Amino acid sequence: MTESSEQKWEPRIIGFLCNWCSYTGADLAGVSRIQYPANIRIIKVMCSGRVNPQFVLKAFQEGADGVLVSGCHPGDCHYIEGNYHARRKLTLLKDLLEFMGVDSSRFQMSWVSASEGQKFAEVVSKFTDQIKQLGPQVKLSEEGLE
Amino acid sequence: MTDYPALENEIRKHAREWLESGAVKYVVGYERGAYSTIARPGIFYKPEDVERLIWDPTCVNNLTKILVEEIQYKPKRGEEPDLRPVGIVVKPCDSKTIIELIKENIVPRERVKIIGAISLGSINPDKLEKAVQSIPAGKLKNLKIVQEGEDFVVKYDGGELKVPRDGVLNDKCKVCKNHNPVIHDVFIGTKVEHHEQDDYDDLKEIEAMSEDERYQYWKEQLSRCVRCYACRDTCPLCYCVECVFDKTKPFNWNEKTVDLPENFFYHMVRAMHLAGRCIDCGECERACPMDIPIRKLNRILLKQAKERFKIYPGMNIEDDVMFGSYDTDDPGEGIW
Repeated sequence: MTESSEQKWEPRIIGFLCNWCSYTGADLAGVSRIQYPANIRIIKVMCSGRVNPQFVLKAFQEGADGVLVSGCHPGDCHYIEGNYHARRKLTLLKDLLEFMGVDSSRFQMSWVSASEGQKFAEVVSKFTDQIKQLGPQVKLSEEGLE
Repeated sequence: MTDYPALENEIRKHAREWLESGAVKYVVGYERGAYSTIARPGIFYKPEDVERLIWDPTCVNNLTKILVEEIQYKPKRGEEPDLRPVGIVVKPCDSKTIIELIKENIVPRERVKIIGAISLGSINPDKLEKAVQSIPAGKLKNLKIVQEGEDFVVKYDGGELKVPRDGVLNDKCKVCKNHNPVIHDVFIGTKVEHHEQDDYDDLKEIEAMSEDERYQYWKEQLSRCVRCYACRDTCPLCYCVECVFDKTKPFNWNEKTVDLPENFFYHMVRAMHLAGRCIDCGECERACPMDIPIRKLNRILLKQAKERFKIYPGMNIEDDVMFGSYDTDDPGEGIW
């Protein structure tokens, strides 16, 4: 089976969205027919605080080109403080990715509320463009493998 | 009082007292072992055993791991566990580990009696071996190392050799500004004054590199990792009964294959698990058979924890655990 020469590389982006704000916001974008790139694969978590840094690293290891974690705005978490914990953990993760030279801009956090359908679409578009510029992610997934 | 023989006597005195009165189950300290360049951990059960206890710059090990094993010990059926406190001799860095263990409710404060001694720097055994190359091995048996001024003097059978400080000091001691034990039941020595903060110069070289150069550096370093898990096994703060790297259900977070992506995953996850907890005792790097600069990974997160969240691990039992607490004003620049 030959691959079509027309087939271009499309980034694969994993998005961890919190149920109460970001996922609902994404849903609103859909219902409102706001177009955004289809490269993002969404994983719903109940709260952004559920996102373990290992999830992000595992996604990269399995070949994700970008990872987005989106939660409620600070102060608006459905579980009061989950997004604060997420902010602490994931900011340090980003520092670590930077220190290891592993394209820390491939990992992005955002705060998207349930009414911000438009913002969600903008966040995804912006992030997808950014990842398209960076190209496929190999440093954590394929590098060193023969 | 800052000279090693005097400190040693003081430590022995207290250890002997505790053992005689039965106040402790046993005392964990250091003794002379097979290698003259590094002290061997020793357990002293009876007052007369304390004759073997030593205190000198070759006392490098972090002994606090034994506290974790002591607390996590499951007595056999019908066995009455001895719940007397454990006596332990600690350097300032080790005392910070004890604070972390107490903070995280792993070791109850009343189960440990701490002899905290000041430290003027410990010696890297490999560097010391190179420095004493010229002395025939037989003469090094009854080695005594003392500090004279800034430098060390190695006293062996039939002579002594002056060893300049910078040549043999442990890397971690070069950046440590914390020469007094932060927790103790007994304070050995005269308090050492110091003022400067650790400014993480050892990380500046890497931070100055471009992204690709940094990646090449870590690719080179982590390609050597054989995943022996010595770093994890020796770390006192890696006390999880089931470690994430041993879990196979529901799936392997970290496959046992030794390749670059798995090595990156292992080291990055371990650094994240130690963020805000690691106090840079350096045992991981010392244990590594492949000389991987593991301390750098832990130190970058230590630095960021201090800068971003004002978290200082190992200083105060009353402090918050970093990932268990938050501040509504935590910096979040870069979040869209």
